[in-house]
Amino acid sequence: MSLGDTVIETKDLKVYFTKGGLLSKKSVVKAVDNVSIKIRRGEVLGLVGESGSGKTTLGRTTIGLQVPTEGQVIYYDSKGFSHVINPRNITKDIRRKLQMIYQDPYSSIDPYMKVYDALRQPLYYAGVRDRAEIEEIIHKAFDDVGLPYDLLGNYVFQLSGGQRQRLAIARALMMDPDYLVADEPVTMLDASLKGLIVEDLKKINQSRGLSILFITHELPVAKVIAHRIAIMYLGKIIELGPTKRIVENPLHPYTQALLQAYPRLEPEARDKLFKVNVRELELVWPKSGCRFHPRCPFVMKRCETEEPPLKEVEPGHYVACWLY
Amino acid sequence: MPPLLRVEGLKVYFHMPRGLVRAVDEVSIYLNKGEIIGIAGESGSGKSTLALGIMRLIMPPGFIEGGNIYFEDTEVLHLPEKVFNSEYRWKRIAMVFQGSMNGFTPVYKIRDQIKEVLEVHGYGGDPDQRVNELMKMVNLDPSIADRYPHELSGGQKQRAFIAMALALNPRVLIADEPTTALDVITQTHIINLLKQLRKELGISIIFITHDIALMSMITDRMYIMYAGRIVEHADAADIVRKPKHPYTKLLMEAVPDPSKEYIKGIPGFMPDLARLPPGCRFQTRCPFVMDICKREEPRLKRVENSEVACWLYG
Repeated sequence: MSLGDTVIETKDLKVYFTKGGLLSKKSVVKAVDNVSIKIRRGEVLGLVGESGSGKTTLGRTTIGLQVPTEGQVIYYDSKGFSHVINPRNITKDIRRKLQMIYQDPYSSIDPYMKVYDALRQPLYYAGVRDRAEIEEIIHKAFDDVGLPYDLLGNYVFQLSGGQRQRLAIARALMMDPDYLVADEPVTMLDASLKGLIVEDLKKINQSRGLSILFITHELPVAKVIAHRIAIMYLGKIIELGPTKRIVENPLHPYTQALLQAYPRLEPEARDKLFKVNVRELELVWPKSGCRFHPRCPFVMKRCETEEPPLKEVEPGHYVACWLY
Repeated sequence: MPPLLRVEGLKVYFHMPRGLVRAVDEVSIYLNKGEIIGIAGESGSGKSTLALGIMRLIMPPGFIEGGNIYFEDTEVLHLPEKVFNSEYRWKRIAMVFQGSMNGFTPVYKIRDQIKEVLEVHGYGGDPDQRVNELMKMVNLDPSIADRYPHELSGGQKQRAFIAMALALNPRVLIADEPTTALDVITQTHIINLLKQLRKELGISIIFITHDIALMSMITDRMYIMYAGRIVEHADAADIVRKPKHPYTKLLMEAVPDPSKEYIKGIPGFMPDLARLPPGCRFQTRCPFVMDICKREEPRLKRVENSEVACWLYG
């Protein structure tokens, strides 16, 4: 599939949160720190990182749910106009084009709503008031995610986890978005459902040419859907490249550990300990240098003082590590 | 040598408005000394209920309908609650609950919370020293016990909870999804810790997870659970090399693997446990469903090195 021009771009994006201040010492959490990425039309970008790495904050900022501290998010619409995305002055028409689905389908949709109403309401607010038109849009979205129409009369709480997540996807698709943030859409789901939902999203990406930021902490899940993968660690993108290269030739020690640590069907392993040369995350924020250096097995003098920039090592494959 | 723990025909049911939910239905498992066994299945299969049943922590509307649990030679399911609580629960059988890393109350230091467990169960020695010992056992610096839960990372909290479960030197540890909320790197560290505890303390572990790949890397034997029943049981190596039950096969194909280009799913969903169809509970999702599957429920029977409940094997 050919990918078009950029649809979402972040330029030196920073999102900081201050915590404490009343009783404890004030501190700044740099949830997103100097992130510049481009997502192309029709592309799935996999954003992989552990909890607390800032991937959800980055996702929320790209659709205008979070005010950037510094830097910009730019959305290029299909007519070629560019819009700076900021919750303070985003318009309804642009909001429609940037959608999000959330991790937990049990809390992202009101369980006591009828399925039909859960879909009708956002359309109503978007200005679609004609009954026939509403019906048509809802049916089309249901077709896209493979839900039967007779569920429309049910209450949301009567749906299974997989059906709810499909409903969440349908609700986002109704708005005919250009860009979708899928925030850990399969994390809460069983192994049996995970594959089905990922395949759904893959199909939607292909049939609609929809750009997706696919957020996950599971690299193998990102691998099956993403064209490119970005690895995020404590607010920074530390590696970015084509999916195939990231999986076959991971460069950053953190990416390597992520691949190594992923469980495989391997009963021969039961008598051995896992080989992980990366230390467990502790709640210590490195004061200087590379953010990964307290856990890195290859740490050098330089890593403690200087922060490595994101550097292109092979075409399209970037890494932020002094080893390269 | 008889098994350390033997569960026979355990039934845990729930009275629900929509009917009687048979969450655990005639489940039999055993655990040998020093063994790590696994119970795998998707959510709603009854694996956590089974664990809570063993701990006798089933709350209404749930109740234990029948069965026996033997610890060594003693039947413990029908012991008076008082005796079970003072002799077995936490002392001989301890449990790390699902999401237990959030099970610490945020307002007390870790040390005080572990000391409380020691006190309640009448620990004789110096509690502070025991806490330090326990922290070292789970590879945490004893000074971490003097922190509040929110000052610990997820992995550290999970270790601290395991330390608390080990407080009274139990012989059996039930670990219910102990790594589900952790990132993969921390997960491998916790798995290594469990293996190390088995080796150093000789503790036996029941490991519960929905991740069959992770389970294959830690357990000696595996039970596959579906809709309240054990559908397959074998050595981990036999299950991985030669899965027999169609559900086990599908579960294995659903494992995301960095070397695969796709992830398979299992279409359909589990039957409503209050309205079970006659016959096999997996019939609605089984690719090999036959006539008999809709009439009669298959029982576990021995096939090669496995036990499997499926009509494909006669």
